[in-house]
Parts: sequence; structure tokens; C-alpha cells
Amino acid sequence: MTGKNIIRFVVLVLLQVLVLNHVSLGGYINPYLYVLFILWLPFNTTRAVLLISAFLIGFTVDIFSNTLGLNAAASVAMAFARPLVISMISTSSEFEPGSRPSIHSQGVRWFLLYTIILVLIHHFVLFFLEIFRLSEFLSTLMRVGLSSALTIVLVFLAEYLTVRKK
Amino acid sequence: MRNLYLFFRKYYFYFLFLLLEVISLILLFNYNEFQNAAVYTWSRQVSGSFNSMFRNITEYFSLRSTNRILTEEIAQLQARMPEAFYKADTNTFFINDTLYKAEYRYISARVISNTTNKRNNFLMINKGSLNGVQNSMGVIIGNRLVGQVVGVSRHFSWVMSLLNKDSRVSAKFKKNNQLVNVEWDGGNYRYGTVKEIPKHFAIVPGDTIITSGNSEIFPEGIMVGTIHDFHIAPDENFNSARILFSTDFNSLGYVEVVLDMMRTEKEEVKTSFEGTEE
Repeated sequence: MTGKNIIRFVVLVLLQVLVLNHVSLGGYINPYLYVLFILWLPFNTTRAVLLISAFLIGFTVDIFSNTLGLNAAASVAMAFARPLVISMISTSSEFEPGSRPSIHSQGVRWFLLYTIILVLIHHFVLFFLEIFRLSEFLSTLMRVGLSSALTIVLVFLAEYLTVRKK
Repeated sequence: MRNLYLFFRKYYFYFLFLLLEVISLILLFNYNEFQNAAVYTWSRQVSGSFNSMFRNITEYFSLRSTNRILTEEIAQLQARMPEAFYKADTNTFFINDTLYKAEYRYISARVISNTTNKRNNFLMINKGSLNGVQNSMGVIIGNRLVGQVVGVSRHFSWVMSLLNKDSRVSAKFKKNNQLVNVEWDGGNYRYGTVKEIPKHFAIVPGDTIITSGNSEIFPEGIMVGTIHDFHIAPDENFNSARILFSTDFNSLGYVEVVLDMMRTEKEEVKTSFEGTEE
């Protein structure tokens, strides 16, 4: 289980810094697919591990893209919100030990809601910290929305691609 | 004591969250303070060598456009060679060292990482303090403006591109030396904003904007761009206009760092004046 997560960590960081950081649709829409790592952590991950591993992946992406602290702050905020979001949108609090959030086990609606909320939190923190002024509020909000949409599409793509393998 | 322990145990999630956020924000804000960039030399060395490794591979894909830019530059330089001039009177053609003292030197550098899609964009180039690069030197490509050095390590430099909220270039209209400021408001990386154009001044789309040479960063006459369109703001003191940058920031391969050899002298003049002021 841990090994699987470490592989995910490495693959997602490489994909992010080598490919996705260079993607920009329409000039300023860019996806941050590495958040998939946080989305896919198992349900029974302790909350301390959740925060620390989110910090680590954000920090690693930062080191390679020269934005020290930026992605780390956004990832930690997202990881902090994760248990809250899960308890908010789930009807039962029982999850199979070791299982991770997926369309397969929780259904499309659940997973869509889960992804949208967490990705929006992450991108909101990321883009507003990057700009750090309110004068460009609307244009930043547009960047948050558009980039989130692209990230969410990629998350679903990844989700369906891995489900087919099983 | 036990209660304190229990308290921390109960709310450790919140404390850990706050701790990690504070660490991130401290990193973020100290890092953005580009004056003391030396502190982050380590992180820069890591991302620098990593990105240059990656650039070594991707560079091949842009060879065609790099070649085109280089040949254009060669053509421009050849046009300035003595051989390119018609010598009407050979007696008057000589180089006089006392008359032409070299003021600027150029260091060619390769761009190893570059963004245009963020609100604050930076470039990393593969020349550092070992090659004579220092903070707040100008960076150009050919005769077009790119940005300004904001951080230097031994082998790499960190360049704030014109596409940055902190970037502000003192420029002027080529046709009549009217001073203006050029900034970038985000969005499309091809267009910027020219601010502080006086009301009485007529703007024509296509007007050329060049650097003013008022700062010690850029020589005079580096191309910034041409006016694309403009709007007259009746209730403000100045008009503004949109400028089409002459630099294509998305296809930078090799750039030149401008080394002003008379810079210390210029700064000395300024400080000597400020010293006697009162």
C-alpha cells in the first residue's frame, strides 16, 4: 500500500514538472494533476500522515518549479479540508479498510463532488497566493475556475484509465 | 500538564495544519523577496541543474526557430560591421578609443526554464556569478527586451521577466522621446500596458516604444514593442494604451545579459549628490 503511494508520488511529480507545468491553454490555464495523489490516499490514512504527505508533494513540486512554498501551502490546505469534505458528502462513515476514494466504489456523483470541492480549494489558495492582491480578483477567479475544470477533467481521465486496468 | 498534553493530542490535526501552512508561507514570502535571493541558492541549484538536464532534451525540438532567430541576429550584426558601410573617404574612417569607450558588454546565456502562463513569470539562465552576472542587470534578446536579473547563484541566474506584476520598465516613444511606463496586467503574454501617457499626446497604433535608458539596467533604444490600441480615459489624468511586445516570451532560446561597465560610476554620481542634499 505504502509502496503504491510512493510510486504514485514519484510519477505524479514527474508528470507535473516535466509535462503539465509546460501546458498552458489559452495563455494561462494550467492543470495541477499532482493533487490526484492527495485525492487518492486511502480512507484510513491518519490525518497527520495526510497533512505531511500533502506538504511533501507540494514542496517537491515547488522545488522543481521554483515556487518555494506556493504549492505546499495549497496542498496542505486541501489535505486539511479532505476529512471534512468526506464526512460532509458521505452518507455512511464506514469505508473498507485500505480502500481509496474512487468512482468504482463510491459512485460518479460522490467522486465528482469530492473532486470538485477539493480541487477548487487547492486552486483557489494557489492562484490567490501567487498573485496576492485583490485588485485582480475577477480575472484570478476566472483562472481558478478554468484551471480547476481542466484539472478535474484530467482527474477523471486518470480515474477511468486505472479502472479499466482492473 | 496532563491536560495540556491531552489538549494537544485532541487538536493535533489543527496544530499540524497551522504549522505546515506557516512553514509554507514563510518560504513563499521570503522567496518572493527577490533582494535576498541568495538564501535560496540551494533550491535554485537543484531546480537549475534539473531543468537544464530537461532542456538538453527539449532544445532539439526548437532548433529550427532558434536557428532562424540566430541568423536574423547575425544579419543585423553584419549590417553594423565596418564592411557593410560604403567608405566615401577612407581617411575619415578610424576607430578612436578616447571617443568611443565601451559602455556595455553582453553575456550570452541559454534559457533553461521559462514560463508565460503564471501571473509572475521568471526565467532561469545558465550563467551566474562566475560569468559576471549580478543582480538587477538587464536581459535582452537581440535588440528586444526580456527582463531583469533578480537572483544569482554560482552557475545560474533567476530573471524576472517583463511578464511579472513587479516588473516596471521605464520606456519612451521613439518618435518624440515621451517618457512612459510599461507594465503587464496578466492575461495574454503578447500584450502589455503602457501607462502614464499625457493627455495632450496623440497616440497612433504602430508607434514604437523603446527603453529610455533612464535606469542603469537597460541601454537606451532596446525595443519594447509597438502600440496595439489605446483608450482615452476622460476622467483620469493620463491615458493608457495596449502594447504588442516585440519579444515572443514563449520561444526564448538564448538571451543576452547586459553588463553596464559604467554602472558603478553612474551610481556614485547619484549617491554623491544625495550625500550633499539637505
